[in-house]
Amino acid sequence: MSGRFFIIALHEGGRFREETWELVSFARRCGAADPVMMVLSDEGAIEQLACELAHRTGLDVVGLAGSHLRGYSAEAYIRTLVPFFRDASGKIRIAAAHTSRGIDFAPQLSAGIDACCITAVEDAGEGTFIRSLHHGRFRAEVRADRAKVVVTVLPGAFAPDDIAPGNPGKVGIVPAGDISLSTLSRGTRAPVHANMGLTRAEVIVSAGRGLGSGENIRLVTMLSSLFPKSALGATRAVCDQGWLDYSHQIGSTGNTVSPRLYLACGISGAVQHLAGMKNSGMIVAVNTDPDAAIFRVAHYGIVEDLTTFIPLLVDRCLKRE
Amino acid sequence: MKILVCVKQVYDSPETLVFDEAAGRVTFGPHTVFRMNRYDEYALEEALRIRERLGDAVVDALSVGPPRVGKTIRRALELGANHGIHVQTRDETCLSAFDRAHLIAAASRGRGYDLVLAGIMAEDDMESQVGPLLAAVLGYGCATGVIFEELSADGREIAVEREVEGGSRECLSLALPCVLAIQSGINTPRYPALSHVLRARSAELECIEASSLAVPPPTQSLVCILPPAQGRQGEIIEGTAAEKADTLIHILREHSLLPR
Ligand SMILES: Cc1cc2nc3c(=O)[nH]c(=O)nc-3n(C[C@H](O)[C@H](O)[C@H](O)COP(=O)(O)OP(=O)(O)OC[C@H]3O[C@@H](n4cnc5c(N)ncnc54)[C@H](O)[C@@H]3O)c2cc1C
Ligand SMILES: Cc1cc2nc3c(=O)[nH]c(=O)nc-3n(C[C@H](O)[C@H](O)[C@H](O)COP(=O)(O)OP(=O)(O)OC[C@H]3O[C@@H](n4cnc5c(N)ncnc54)[C@H](O)[C@@H]3O)c2cc1C
Repeated sequence: MSGRFFIIALHEGGRFREETWELVSFARRCGAADPVMMVLSDEGAIEQLACELAHRTGLDVVGLAGSHLRGYSAEAYIRTLVPFFRDASGKIRIAAAHTSRGIDFAPQLSAGIDACCITAVEDAGEGTFIRSLHHGRFRAEVRADRAKVVVTVLPGAFAPDDIAPGNPGKVGIVPAGDISLSTLSRGTRAPVHANMGLTRAEVIVSAGRGLGSGENIRLVTMLSSLFPKSALGATRAVCDQGWLDYSHQIGSTGNTVSPRLYLACGISGAVQHLAGMKNSGMIVAVNTDPDAAIFRVAHYGIVEDLTTFIPLLVDRCLKRE
Repeated sequence: MKILVCVKQVYDSPETLVFDEAAGRVTFGPHTVFRMNRYDEYALEEALRIRERLGDAVVDALSVGPPRVGKTIRRALELGANHGIHVQTRDETCLSAFDRAHLIAAASRGRGYDLVLAGIMAEDDMESQVGPLLAAVLGYGCATGVIFEELSADGREIAVEREVEGGSRECLSLALPCVLAIQSGINTPRYPALSHVLRARSAELECIEASSLAVPPPTQSLVCILPPAQGRQGEIIEGTAAEKADTLIHILREHSLLPR
């Protein structure tokens, strides 16, 4: 599949998200040696952002500028990108990261330019895109039936590529015109639930929905008390149900941790959870389902019911002492 | 105020799926249990809370799918939705997010919804597309990952907070009508009240044949279903439960992760 390939580089507070450099690798995997980098911002910041992209990637950059792009909103992105791509002819692929912003604007962008939209892509085939299905048990190879395709790429699926061997690429700044939005962005609020104890712990015993009830939190507490510098972690599902508060949440919208040992109890291994713990030194998982995705990242897996296995483990550990 | 909540029926556990090699499809095994997508439970709860705050709002629940999804619509009525709409497909043929968004848009047009709530994603395949695509088709504004909302006093706009990486929140306000894709944890979904359960049992669902609605040609096609890219990398500890426990204790002590 030939044609033009664009990468939309997302940024916050003057810094590009790390996934930006992964998208360069993704483009090359798709056979596009020289994708065009795109960045959207207000007039004051656009030059610097665009030049940084050109230096770091060595690729040509299009900067779209307008005062409506001072803060982020899906509407601001779509109303800028749709006119840019709508009338372009030929095959066009547009990639953004599958982050909270990427999935916020990508589907709407696709609808505005009569493109196909494929989200959470983790690999590419011959003119096709590959994504997980059914909790990561299968993958689907999907072909776009439109000339234009918008894809969001799963963070971490590709290694970053931000070391440009040659000269910086060319920078073109395009004014997006006066656009008045019906969405008003009112800034960002810091997370309410950071947990320093988690980032310092050497061992994290983490609870998933497989615990079955809030009462069973005592099982992971008991297990964690075997380890000196330990802390309790949890999936979002556990926090949503109020079994532990959100300061324990690990994952893309919670804490990111890398303890020496991560003990995952009753956790399925959703990508959003893995994003927060996959760099742990050793991962041990206890789960009743032998096909759970967590076993694909675990160094040691135990297929058992945690309600009987954890008490047994604690018991045998104490007896040996 | 008219509110539409899009509810998807999903299987309860992926353990009951079967891969039909001959057809190259994933199908539901005989023990598959279906339920409402959890993110949609949060969306429905938020709609019910808005109705309670306003006093005079109406909450419709809509689902696209074969006859089995009627049960999930009824569940929405049990929880308190006023009216159920079933966009009925004939069989288990897989509809893309694009198809579903167009079907929902076609079925909801002309009904004057001020607010449409969807889940941020479906638990099974995590496409996260239906909410924002629906917004684009209807020409409504949209915010995804919504973890807080507050309607203005005049009911013309809504302030929302979107949850982003690391748990930060982006604060926006949108003009109505709009679509919000709801994140889990925005509220605590209720249990059904007995009076609603009784009413839901006899309530009529409004049934619309999907084939009677116009949908543009599909944007994508499935080439094939593949196994996961990465097989198991680690070791599955075998033996009786006690042997597994002893092996694990041994490994942890060997790595000095557990005191002797
Ligand atoms: C935008 C977005 C952001 C998100 N951010 C995060 C995040 O930061 N962190 C996060 O964790 N999630 C996050 N999620 C949610 C994520 O997608 C998953 O829904 C969540 O991680 C699932 O939690 P779980 O593994 O506890 O539950 P489930 O997926 O329900 O898994 C439960 C597991 O327990 C096993 N089990 C059941 N009974 C037993 C038993 N008796 N013994 C042993 N095992 C048992 C089951 O086989 C299953 O594998 C996010 C989702 C979205 C849309
Ligand atoms: C071309 C193609 C072929 C496929 N073939 C297969 C196959 O052969 N076998 C297979 O098992 N899977 C297949 N799939 C995957 C299957 O269609 C998925 O269930 C779906 O595409 C994933 O989107 P989602 O439900 O995760 O939507 P999301 O966009 O993640 O859902 C978000 C929200 O939209 C709303 N919503 C979504 N669906 C509905 C609905 N039906 N009714 C009401 N509201 C809804 C809900 O509020 C939900 O919370 C295929 C997908 C495609 C694109």
